[in-house]
Amino acid sequence: MIYQISVPGLVADVEEIRVLEWHGCIGHEFDAGDLIVELETHKALVEVRAGQRGILRQILVEEGNWQKIGFPLCLMTDTAGEPLPDSVESAGDLLVAFEIT
Amino acid sequence: MFSEMPKENDATVKMYFREAIIRALREEMRDDPNIVLLGQDIGAFGGSYREFDGLYGEFGPRRVRDMPVAEAAMVGVGVGAAAAGHRSVVSITYMDFLMLGFDPLINYAAKLRYKTGGQLNAPVVVKTTAGARGQGVAHSQCLEAWLMSVPGLKVVAPSTPADAYGLLKAALRETGPVVYVDHKRLFPIPGDVPIAEGITRIGHAAIRRVGVDLTITTHSFMTRVALEAAELLAAENISAEVIDLRSLAPLDMDTVTASVRRTGILLTLEEGQMTCGVGAEVATRVRERLGPAGSALRTGRLGALPVPVSSNPVLEAACLPGAHRVAAAARALFVGAAAEVLADTSTTHLWSTS
Repeated sequence: MIYQISVPGLVADVEEIRVLEWHGCIGHEFDAGDLIVELETHKALVEVRAGQRGILRQILVEEGNWQKIGFPLCLMTDTAGEPLPDSVESAGDLLVAFEIT
Repeated sequence: MFSEMPKENDATVKMYFREAIIRALREEMRDDPNIVLLGQDIGAFGGSYREFDGLYGEFGPRRVRDMPVAEAAMVGVGVGAAAAGHRSVVSITYMDFLMLGFDPLINYAAKLRYKTGGQLNAPVVVKTTAGARGQGVAHSQCLEAWLMSVPGLKVVAPSTPADAYGLLKAALRETGPVVYVDHKRLFPIPGDVPIAEGITRIGHAAIRRVGVDLTITTHSFMTRVALEAAELLAAENISAEVIDLRSLAPLDMDTVTASVRRTGILLTLEEGQMTCGVGAEVATRVRERLGPAGSALRTGRLGALPVPVSSNPVLEAACLPGAHRVAAAARALFVGAAAEVLADTSTTHLWSTS
């Protein structure tokens, strides 16, 4: 199964967000609860944690770059060898937890 | 906690307002050891909007000074330090509280050069934040029009991070006092800022959208509202030119008048009150400049309703101009102008148009 993580619309008035740091390289396996990526708004850090197990396959927004709310940040899969789709649109959403500090 | 600066690309780098402000302050403070910052929670805490993050660490407590909750004293100390040879930046978190600092700002800083026959100057930048964002009657006001009438005082209000950077740097090189006005609703919105060091010259407006049917002049957050309205109007084949004034004192009447000469219709837009407002001044000066040639000019103005800004979000939104209200006002002026054969010089009060 292929999943995406998209930018959450968690902070009022924020239309786009900057990727601060990825906490794993391509191929890294995240367990539920692991920190995947940190996002940065004008006043808050958003920690995106895995809500289920998954393997990071493709980073769509590099550190320091920006993405709009609702648009994808990365692709993940259940297993390492799963072929990636041509378009991210077919990917479902990975279960994630957010923490805003 | 926050990254110092975003990643760079070729010519510009996208950043938040607060990062543009930090960059401007850092560059100018490195160049000019006389610059001191005064404000509440601007030291280790980094400012209410994190717009001073990292400066305390780099420049230390002598140059980045936390102040008590006493705005009159803050502005007074800043003006005094400036008169004594420093260059001060006084951070007033909410523009509403700047009222407490009017005496040192208006009676002393703005008049010092004149009063001393040019022997003393007060190069002080009062950096403050205006605008409604759910915080009620005394934390929401846009009072920049009050300051435009003070001889000796300059007033600037950016609508983009690039101008936040450029105007703040320009303000820090002025010989006299400047009030620099941010807006709370702009802070979450990033924008591209040139990588190369530079300034935005004070007194120069920016045409944010080119149009031929009418001119909308505005500033600060309302620039975004005007651009949104221009999009709505474009769908009806009404082409609105949007001018971001950027500098309210002095006003760039060359740019505004040239635009109105082309379009024949002026709609002014501000978030503050319309009575004796920015728009009233702009419209009057356009008429003065156009003279008899402006007899067919149609003008309208939009601003907040004449009531306090509520912390109730429904009432707050009702009080302030939104894109649909701006588009309706522009449409009314445009249709009215098109329908009239004879010149009409009346000024239409449009704030009641919903």
